[in-house]
Amino acid sequence: MTVSKAFWKIVLKNIGTIITYTIILIVFGSLNMSSDSTTQFEADKPSIVIFNHDEERGITKGFIKYLSENAEIKDEYEDDDKLKDALFYENVVAVVDIPKDFSQELALNKNPELKLRSSSGYAAEVAKVLVRQYMSTAKSYASLNLSEDDLAKKVESTLSDSTEIEIKSKVDTSKYSRATRYFSFANYSILACVITVICLIMSSFNRVEIRKRNLVGSIELKRMNGILLRNSCLYSAMMWIVYVVLGFIVVGLNEMWSIHGLLYAVNSLIFCVCATTIAYLISSIVKGIGAVNGIMNVIALGSSFLCGAFVPAEYLPDSVLTFAHILPSFYFIDTNNKIMAIEDYGSSSLLPIFINMAVIVGFCIVFIIASNIITHKKERLA
Amino acid sequence: MKNVIEVKHLVKSYGSNRAIDDLSFNVKEGEILGLLGPNGSGKTTTMNSILSLLKFDDGEIRIFGKEMSPSAYDIKAKIGVVFQEVAVFDELTVYGNIDYFCGLYIQDKETRARYVNDALNLVGLKENKSQYPKQLSGGLLRRLNIACGIAHKPKLIFLDEPTVAVDPQSRNNILEGIKKLRDDGATIIYTTHYMEEVEILCDRVIILDHGKIIASGTNDELKALAKIEEKVTIEVAELSPNQLSGFDDIKNVSSVEYEDGVLKVVYNKGKNNLAEMVEYLQSHKIKYSKIFAERPTLNDVFLELTGKELRD
Repeated sequence: MTVSKAFWKIVLKNIGTIITYTIILIVFGSLNMSSDSTTQFEADKPSIVIFNHDEERGITKGFIKYLSENAEIKDEYEDDDKLKDALFYENVVAVVDIPKDFSQELALNKNPELKLRSSSGYAAEVAKVLVRQYMSTAKSYASLNLSEDDLAKKVESTLSDSTEIEIKSKVDTSKYSRATRYFSFANYSILACVITVICLIMSSFNRVEIRKRNLVGSIELKRMNGILLRNSCLYSAMMWIVYVVLGFIVVGLNEMWSIHGLLYAVNSLIFCVCATTIAYLISSIVKGIGAVNGIMNVIALGSSFLCGAFVPAEYLPDSVLTFAHILPSFYFIDTNNKIMAIEDYGSSSLLPIFINMAVIVGFCIVFIIASNIITHKKERLA
Repeated sequence: MKNVIEVKHLVKSYGSNRAIDDLSFNVKEGEILGLLGPNGSGKTTTMNSILSLLKFDDGEIRIFGKEMSPSAYDIKAKIGVVFQEVAVFDELTVYGNIDYFCGLYIQDKETRARYVNDALNLVGLKENKSQYPKQLSGGLLRRLNIACGIAHKPKLIFLDEPTVAVDPQSRNNILEGIKKLRDDGATIIYTTHYMEEVEILCDRVIILDHGKIIASGTNDELKALAKIEEKVTIEVAELSPNQLSGFDDIKNVSSVEYEDGVLKVVYNKGKNNLAEMVEYLQSHKIKYSKIFAERPTLNDVFLELTGKELRD
């Protein structure tokens, strides 16, 4: 009772730390979710200036219409110097000069020269593709000896063709991307909150002077360690409940009140236990309270960056991800991604998730054994 | 009186260095035993061995008639320890700290609250009970350290240099508190470097050096071991070389020092030394303003026994 009371008094002294990391989770976790990727796409429209020296009929009319539909046509640039500046600053990415008799010559398959100036970069390449696409389509029909209007209609019809894409997945995985991002970001907050507070408490109890006093006390050392371990687990469980409840609020009830939500919660609970064992291992090694914050930052920030909590794993280099395999955070975040991709709740979908969870439990066992070995050596001062 | 602690043929080595060398002594119920010795003499090692914080190589330690071991929780329940280093939680208040350490022994909430208040009163920290250790001065912190060690009213108390770096007021308060603990029936082992504290507090003293007992007994018994009988200090305005050399010829004089108008004469033995000195001064027309004699102190005995060379 006395030991538990002291434990929770020290937790309360660190309530500021807990609130800080929880706010970080809410703020940055929400920002992370708002940068969500979706399956809806919108084509980029490059800024183009058109100088038309031909009459607006036939192919010329069709070409201008096509560019108007797929690009943003700028008409405020009359002065060539201003246009050069606009190209330099990429306010305009391409300038198309349509020569005189362009429509007529194209219909006669004479290959008229289209003058195209462009800036560098992605938008300019899109503009070039638009021009190339129209011209190559028009040239392929030019040999058919069609009239200018018929040729223009033929090209328009061809370019308006679109491909139907059917998503065969039964589950809309994008529905759970917010929850995945929230729980993956929680990797940082869980590690920070659990490691900092438990390490600070254990550092206090493990201080040589305090430890000597406890050793000469009438409470058995094993019993005292047991009380501290139980309270540490209780603290981690409380943090887990807070983060799951926040998950319901931040992510939404629809996403969380589901089997997917249950899996996210179970995964984070296992990770909380793992964070507790990491905290125990650190506190069995680290002597001073001053070192705790430094080590916590290295572990929480380091593993969050390396394992894809802040930046999605698909953007990380293979070498980084290979290294990340030795960290429990990798399996926690990977499990979140796997939960998002679940299409059904069959064994083939769930097995990889349970394997990852088992790996995290394996990490816990390794950390407990290592912590026990170190603590046992320190149990007696000589 | 029965023995509370019995140490027999205790041996503890660190590699080739023998920190405790065949040490045997007893501590009687209700006494304050002073454990003296220069740095590295084996005081702390002896204390840690008795408390089972250290494994010793050979010997036997019995406390309250039972063999002491790390798992002897029934014995530990009767022991209180005040370590030299302040051992308190920075995150707990003064009251919280005393309550925690008292709670390691006393489970009953009401009894514990009473004991904690008694400890606060004993060390004079009642006004500071809501403060955190970082808000306390060095002296108050030391008093908190003592309160944490004795709050559960132990029958046997180990105090390891509890007054190091403490101001005279706090020291006085601490010494009064220790006397009160003894008066309440506790047996106390007290280690310190301050000889005057030992003279004030301890019923019996053991002087250790190189892990061995080099002297033990009451204050008077130890002082009797001193080779010098007394030291006479005289303030003399002027003294010629002839007059100064004349002091060496006085009966029983062991050594003479004269510096900045102060003459110090040490007598090895004899009686009426001071009277003879006054007679000598008058007969040689040496003008003096002040004269006084001192009996050898425990400090003199300690330095005689352990040597004057500096230790770590």
